Amino acid sequence: MSIQTLEIIRKRLEERPEELRQARKNGHKVVGWTGYNVPEEIVHALGFIPVRIALGGDDRLVEVGARYASSKTCVFIREIVGAFSENKDPYIQQTDILAFDATCLQNYRAAEVIEYFFKKDVVVLAVPRNFAEDDAKTYFVHEANEFTRLLEERAGRLLDNATLGESVALYNDIRKTLKSIYTFQAARDNVISWEEVYDLIQAGDLLDKKEYLSLLQQTLAELTELQHNPVIEADCDSRIFISGSLIPRGDRKLISIINLAGGRIVGDDLWSGILPHLDLDIKEISPAGVALGYLNRTPHAALPYLDLESDRRLKKLHELLSQSRAHGVIYHTLRYCDPFTFKAKETKNVLAKSGIPLLEIHTEYAGSDYEAMKTRVEAFIEMIRIKSELVEEEAA
Amino acid sequence: MGKQLFRYSEANKEGFLDSDNITFNDGSIVTPEEIWHYLTVEGPVKYPSAFEVNLYQGNRGSRDETLPTSLKTRYLGLTFSARMEKAKDNGKSIAFIQGGQAVDPYTAADTIALRPGLVNQWNNGLEYGNDINKENLRRKKSKEKAFHDMSFEACQTGGYEHVQAGNLRIDVIAPYTVLRCSDVSYGVEAHRHGPNKDVKLLNVDFPLRNQADKPWAIEYFAGNLRRLVHTLDEVTGRKTTEDDLLKAIKLHNEGRRLGTELAELWWSADIPPTNSDDRASLVSLGNLETHGDVQASLSVLKEARKFIAERVKNGVKGHAVTDNPKRLFILGSCVGINGSRSEDAGAIVVGRDDQWSHCSSLVEEEGDPYYNLAKTTLEYPYEQGIEKRAQWTIEQIRKSRADGVIFIHNWGCNTQAAISRPIVDIIKRETGIPTYIHERDLHGLRDEQEQNRVNAFIEML
Repeated sequence: MSIQTLEIIRKRLEERPEELRQARKNGHKVVGWTGYNVPEEIVHALGFIPVRIALGGDDRLVEVGARYASSKTCVFIREIVGAFSENKDPYIQQTDILAFDATCLQNYRAAEVIEYFFKKDVVVLAVPRNFAEDDAKTYFVHEANEFTRLLEERAGRLLDNATLGESVALYNDIRKTLKSIYTFQAARDNVISWEEVYDLIQAGDLLDKKEYLSLLQQTLAELTELQHNPVIEADCDSRIFISGSLIPRGDRKLISIINLAGGRIVGDDLWSGILPHLDLDIKEISPAGVALGYLNRTPHAALPYLDLESDRRLKKLHELLSQSRAHGVIYHTLRYCDPFTFKAKETKNVLAKSGIPLLEIHTEYAGSDYEAMKTRVEAFIEMIRIKSELVEEEAA
Repeated sequence: MGKQLFRYSEANKEGFLDSDNITFNDGSIVTPEEIWHYLTVEGPVKYPSAFEVNLYQGNRGSRDETLPTSLKTRYLGLTFSARMEKAKDNGKSIAFIQGGQAVDPYTAADTIALRPGLVNQWNNGLEYGNDINKENLRRKKSKEKAFHDMSFEACQTGGYEHVQAGNLRIDVIAPYTVLRCSDVSYGVEAHRHGPNKDVKLLNVDFPLRNQADKPWAIEYFAGNLRRLVHTLDEVTGRKTTEDDLLKAIKLHNEGRRLGTELAELWWSADIPPTNSDDRASLVSLGNLETHGDVQASLSVLKEARKFIAERVKNGVKGHAVTDNPKRLFILGSCVGINGSRSEDAGAIVVGRDDQWSHCSSLVEEEGDPYYNLAKTTLEYPYEQGIEKRAQWTIEQIRKSRADGVIFIHNWGCNTQAAISRPIVDIIKRETGIPTYIHERDLHGLRDEQEQNRVNAFIEML
């Protein structure tokens, strides 16, 4: 089954770098952003073109990045630094300003290194570790106001609430539509795959936001026509949920291995996937309101939380696992990605209490571990398949 | 056959006995006679590894027998574990903290603050009779447990392996989080899934990125310091007042001033008055937390200043220092080189940025002590952005007249590793001094590979 709008999106992505080049010639500025808590609506409302800096899968760029940011930095960050060094990525080439946050400290370090070596204009948003405390929220509101002020300076204009309100409404519509589309990928009839939806989500990092919303709505209309009422149920497929470190554009190693091994991915809680689009409730149209909306979402693993029982990240993982009717979790950790590697064993133990198996795959962007990963994933999927078949037999 | 152990010479005893007592927090004292007995009789039996004549001794204890305060820091180090056990028996509260932070609020709240190195030291001292290799194997084993329970890519495991195993009676894990290190915050969080439910957890949230000029950031960190003191009070059952904090600030400022004076005195000498290890152990007393006893550190520090001044005046050279050694400045968190082997190769370590950054940061004594402490902490030179940190480091390198700079980062320490190159880049550009970046394993003996690189650098200098 083919969704025609997905083809249009692929074509528009090919055209996008040239479009950005033209926009910049006409005086527009592109803000390259990265960080879980960067309030993109503020960037958008100030008239910038936001483009997410997220790329992976290129071991050579990782090596280049290591020359500047050391070989001990996570591979994702090393690749970003390497890409800035080479300046060949069509999106990185078009950035005028960078907006990074300090949710993950390695992201923050990347901002420093890129600013120093490649003389980029970087605005950094600090993020409190004690994010759940009231004083941390007050602090973050100040930081968001400061972040806005620094962007206003660069935009040469002040942020007005009416424009911010329009941006928030646009982004809310995008999130709402994405959530509706996401339901289809996990459904029984499988009219759209998780992989297609994942690419669709990441297309939004790069495309013009208004056009993106329109394309999402077209996609949803097509899907609804194909399947009026998506039903999600656990069947004999090996339904896999992906968690852990982000999987940005350019990195499809683990995903392709899961597919080749016969697993069906039905959900994720990746920073590069659906998670940032969930539970974002902006209660007030102001930089503060937007920032708090971000901070109050499901927290990123880089922000420590000291009570296991009330950890909202784990609660969200449980909720998404239940919604997607996944049989098992493949927990992806990138080399030196501390936020997720530190939690791998704990997450495994927590899920084991609910009878959900977890396989940690620790990897980097080199191809040298491909076969080893494949063997482990195949064994995991085989185990899940046998287990779900037994459950089906017992139910019958 | 037993290992060859170093022994202090009786010829130096008389001079040592003329030196001062050490006074401790609880008012007790230990006399030079008792210290000498410990170092020559009790210590070598309990801790033969500390006295072993072995090239791989990473941090060789003082052999400078005519410098009494070095023997005293040695004594404080060797008795550390027993003193912590005694403190716990007497109901004292103990907190796990971060390296690179001052401990004024912990002192104010009558709590002993131990950074990761000291937590390990406490645990290491619980077992007697080990030689260096046995001791190292034991440390590796406990660290492996932490790696298993957290991440094998951890540099810092937050004392998890000791606290969760119940080996150490630590009451609260409450470091300044993300100050110079990201692993420690994940380490604190990891305690939430361990079996020891009695230990309290708190992240004292140190905000990043040029925050010292932002009033809201200072207020936020001050609020975190108040929360810290409140949490410490919950453990001790006492009520710490602002006046208590001010007194602690004044006490620690005295230590910081003395530590700074001592370092500058040392740097002023044409002939190095101590070797690398002795310099480090004396200057680090300025933070007053090194031995888990603020008053003991202060009393040794005061005396050390007098002895070093005499040596500088008389041109006395430190033990085992070569003539005209090449002067090395070491950068990075929780790192160091093998002092004695580097001295044998013709060098001497004249300074470090870590620990020194906060030792040289005095806290304002007028006004709200929480606000003042927060502001100073946010101003720590080590925690600033690349350019600002590098400029401060260059200033220290120039003051110390270093010939070469080594930036060391531990395996897994991505927070420091990530900026090692830009920092040394600026230093090289502005001073012309040779630099190199060196990665090492935090845990274990300093190996030949590491020393080969250091020696090659010294030879090049």
